[in-house]
Amino acid sequence: MSSARFSTFLTQIAQALQDESGPELAYLLKPTSEHGKGLVKEFRNPTKQSLSYYEGSVESPWDEIAIQYVLVVNHCAKKRYAEAFKEHGALVSLFVRYFATNSGWTLPALFSIMRDLRDLAFDADLDASSKGQEGTANMEEAARIISKAFSACVTDRQSPYAESRKWGVYYVVGLILKCYFRVRRISLSKNILRAIDANPDIPPLSAYPRSHQVTYRYYIGMLSFLNEDFAKSEQELTLAFYNCHTGARRNQQRILIYLLPLRVLRGHLPSAELLKRFPVLEDLYTPFLSAIRSGNIKAYDSALEKFERRLVELNLWLTLERARELCIRGLFRKVWVASQRGTRIPISLFHASLNIAGMDVSQEEAECLVANMVYRGYMRGYISHEKQMVVLANTNAFPRLADRPAPYASLY
Amino acid sequence: MSSTASSSKATETKTISSTKEEDSQPHLGVLEEDDEFEEFEVADWDDSQTDLAHLGGAAPGAAKSGGDKLWEDNWDDDDIEDDFSVQLRSELAKKGNGGNGVETMQH
Repeated sequence: MSSARFSTFLTQIAQALQDESGPELAYLLKPTSEHGKGLVKEFRNPTKQSLSYYEGSVESPWDEIAIQYVLVVNHCAKKRYAEAFKEHGALVSLFVRYFATNSGWTLPALFSIMRDLRDLAFDADLDASSKGQEGTANMEEAARIISKAFSACVTDRQSPYAESRKWGVYYVVGLILKCYFRVRRISLSKNILRAIDANPDIPPLSAYPRSHQVTYRYYIGMLSFLNEDFAKSEQELTLAFYNCHTGARRNQQRILIYLLPLRVLRGHLPSAELLKRFPVLEDLYTPFLSAIRSGNIKAYDSALEKFERRLVELNLWLTLERARELCIRGLFRKVWVASQRGTRIPISLFHASLNIAGMDVSQEEAECLVANMVYRGYMRGYISHEKQMVVLANTNAFPRLADRPAPYASLY
Repeated sequence: MSSTASSSKATETKTISSTKEEDSQPHLGVLEEDDEFEEFEVADWDDSQTDLAHLGGAAPGAAKSGGDKLWEDNWDDDDIEDDFSVQLRSELAKKGNGGNGVETMQH
């Protein structure tokens, strides 16, 4: 058997190889393309055996890659998700074998087929879980296959700098992390990140395209957030946000939802201008922000309660629960302002302020809250327990939140 | 099979589960836990297409006082005419200002 369409396809592949055209190769291997649909019509139930006629028709492993491609588009057309993923995985592995022995000119194609691999794993998992099967096996397998591509990127010691496979490192890592996040196996990220650290000859992140930088920093920021390294998280997410394309609004929003509370803890509140650009964030965070500004603990608590489930789902509850301290600080500062910024304020007045704010606490609890505020650096002064009096520093009794050292210390 | 197809499927699943939720739970639109960081449409871009352009040379993530108008670091509320402060001051008037015999903190 022979097929005109498939012969054309093989010729196009051979031409792309000769031209060293990565984008053309990426285009040819897209499972959703028009030529792919043409090939589906050309072969009835193709198998590896029925296509073995074409082995050797182009340089190895491209004959096998082309055959795999026919199998993939055929399964995709028939909506056989698990099979499509499996055959595409085999295609990627063959591709990586070629990739590992050449310079980085095929990177555009590598990125494209790995993106498709992840998408196919996504669909295959969704399909499996709709049939009551385990729903993460394909994505985990995708991560394993993509990790091999990662090694092939890192180990390039020969190609000239500009054509190094190393220029694939951060894009590939971004994809792997995306897989791990999807299946909630983020602890697996450690190995890959260690491998990056162990290879000092990888070009600096800032030399990579911005899309690679931003995605990588987003995931590092998220990993740090989940590992409770909030200072690092804030740093990475800040860089991710500022380098993100302003047209990629959903990604900017995704970064900000975590960055925003971290910056609030540092005493940097989002401006009205920033919030206006992201109405979803404005809806979520405005109740917390206005409560912090006015020291309104009751409003803060009811926002915490109202948004509880969403915040828990997003892993944000703890952070916002801790930011409640800023609200108490705001309340106590109001007491101080109302007392003409005096240096001696009876605990009973702080107690009264808590009661007015709707917190039914005893005087002892009020004293304890004041002590905590002093301990955490929100207020400068001391408590005279026997006189039930708070003695505040003459100057800077309530330091600006932005000036507080170690703003995340209370989160540990 | 494209990523568009995958995400529309994901949205379907989500709609089903979210209809079960009580109305009090605010809808965060795209901010669902299962949503993913998306592929960028282009690989690279320059400063003018980012928020770095709004900084006027300030370091990313400074605050207004440092030139970044997206964040504020001077927002302490000194309003003493709001209801809450008025109540506080009347409390204060009731209690008088005690504190005799406690040393002033020197700093």
